[in-house]
Amino acid sequence: MVNAGDIEKGMYLLFRGEPCVVASKEFMNPGKGSAIMRVKYKSLKNGNVVEYAHKTTESVEEADVDKVELTFSYIDGDNAIFIDSETYEQTPVPLSTLSGREVYLIPDLKCWVLLFEEKAIGIILPPNVVLTVTESQDAVAGNRVNAPKKEITVETGLKLQAPLFIKEGEKILISTADGSYVSRANQ
Amino acid sequence: MTALQKIISYEKVVDVVRGYFKSEGFHEVFTPILVPAPSCEPNLEVFETQLRTMTGKKRRGFLIMSPEFSIKKLLAQGIDSCFEITHCFRNEEEVSRQHNPEFTMLEWYRVGGNYFDVMKDCENLFTKILGKKMVYQGKEYDLSLPWPRISIEEVFEGKIPKQEDFSQKFYNEVEPKLTASGRPAFIYDYPKYQASLSKINSRGFAERFEIFLAGLELGNCFSELTDWKDQKTRFEKDLEERKTLNKTIYGLDADFIAALKNGLPEVAGIAVGVDRLVMLAADAPAISDVINFPASEIFKI
Repeated sequence: MVNAGDIEKGMYLLFRGEPCVVASKEFMNPGKGSAIMRVKYKSLKNGNVVEYAHKTTESVEEADVDKVELTFSYIDGDNAIFIDSETYEQTPVPLSTLSGREVYLIPDLKCWVLLFEEKAIGIILPPNVVLTVTESQDAVAGNRVNAPKKEITVETGLKLQAPLFIKEGEKILISTADGSYVSRANQ
Repeated sequence: MTALQKIISYEKVVDVVRGYFKSEGFHEVFTPILVPAPSCEPNLEVFETQLRTMTGKKRRGFLIMSPEFSIKKLLAQGIDSCFEITHCFRNEEEVSRQHNPEFTMLEWYRVGGNYFDVMKDCENLFTKILGKKMVYQGKEYDLSLPWPRISIEEVFEGKIPKQEDFSQKFYNEVEPKLTASGRPAFIYDYPKYQASLSKINSRGFAERFEIFLAGLELGNCFSELTDWKDQKTRFEKDLEERKTLNKTIYGLDADFIAALKNGLPEVAGIAVGVDRLVMLAADAPAISDVINFPASEIFKI
């Protein structure tokens, strides 16, 4: 159990029986009455965000979430299959828990897989991933001032805006936080 | 925002505030930030320091949590309606999106007025700053007048929570609805246990309101208690409560009680967080986006 006054961002807690990660928290101290901790819970199962105010003296149950480092292998129907590189044991992660983030998964990418009651309920991606550009139109001359970027597509189907100099076949670094272009990947 | 943009957004808001109160005939007052006896809110922690003279005299000194006591001393002297923009300090609070340990407070006191008169001041002043339509963090808010006035009895549909549950229930059940309404709201007539320094009306409610807009609590207003005996009793109770909450202990400001004895006029006063107003005006998500050198940066916390 955790004292609500000690809740920190990133903790795994049970909220209404569901495992959640603390997305943010704010301590509020009204002039009178008990102090409260306002917490934004993000469900690990479906990504829904709920806000709740706890009294700082309340206890909140921790969610027994395990983090294991696994390697992405392939997508099979509704699951992304991850493999333990030592035991070769396979762990299916339902695509529904990834909220569209499967566009960052390429074979051999190492991720943290979150397990709750022995079932995979989500993943933590590295901050950036390297993906290969599969479609990129040549820059149109004269369009450099107003639109210094163009749309490109990478190997997983993700479309994003990138600088005009990026060409097909190049490897680029993409932020997994918002799918934006970071830089050319160091070869 | 850049340092200059922050300065300009602040400047614009403060100019409108000064302009409004000058046109309403208010005096601008300047009161000490370093005081021997601060206000006594039980839940708030104070910054304490020590005043030492060259000849070795020593006094406890505190940074104000609000300029209220000093302004009320001036009101008792007959200063009439007035306002102050000053820095206030609160210790042991989270440094967060809405909180910086040092912040800018606007307080104004309308002599001869009550809390409903101050609601009108809020409407007039805030729409001068924010306009009649506001977009904050991607959501549109309708600020056309009059702003909804909703009593605590109404927001809780007659089931007013107990003191220890009040804030929790308010933030879980009421505040999300207020934000979702897309309108500002004056929440008024608090239960007696939330009276603080406000008058109790004939129906047994505290003549107090808070303004909520876009998920931010912008200000807290009272029809000020003028009965010095009643006030003294409430302060003593507050100071007692500070002891049980392990807050810094200090004495009651005797000059303040003397001033109240002398006679506080009928007056309604309000405290408004200027930083939050600037956040709304500049569509900035956090207090650190509108002030230069926020504590999170300079103290690295």
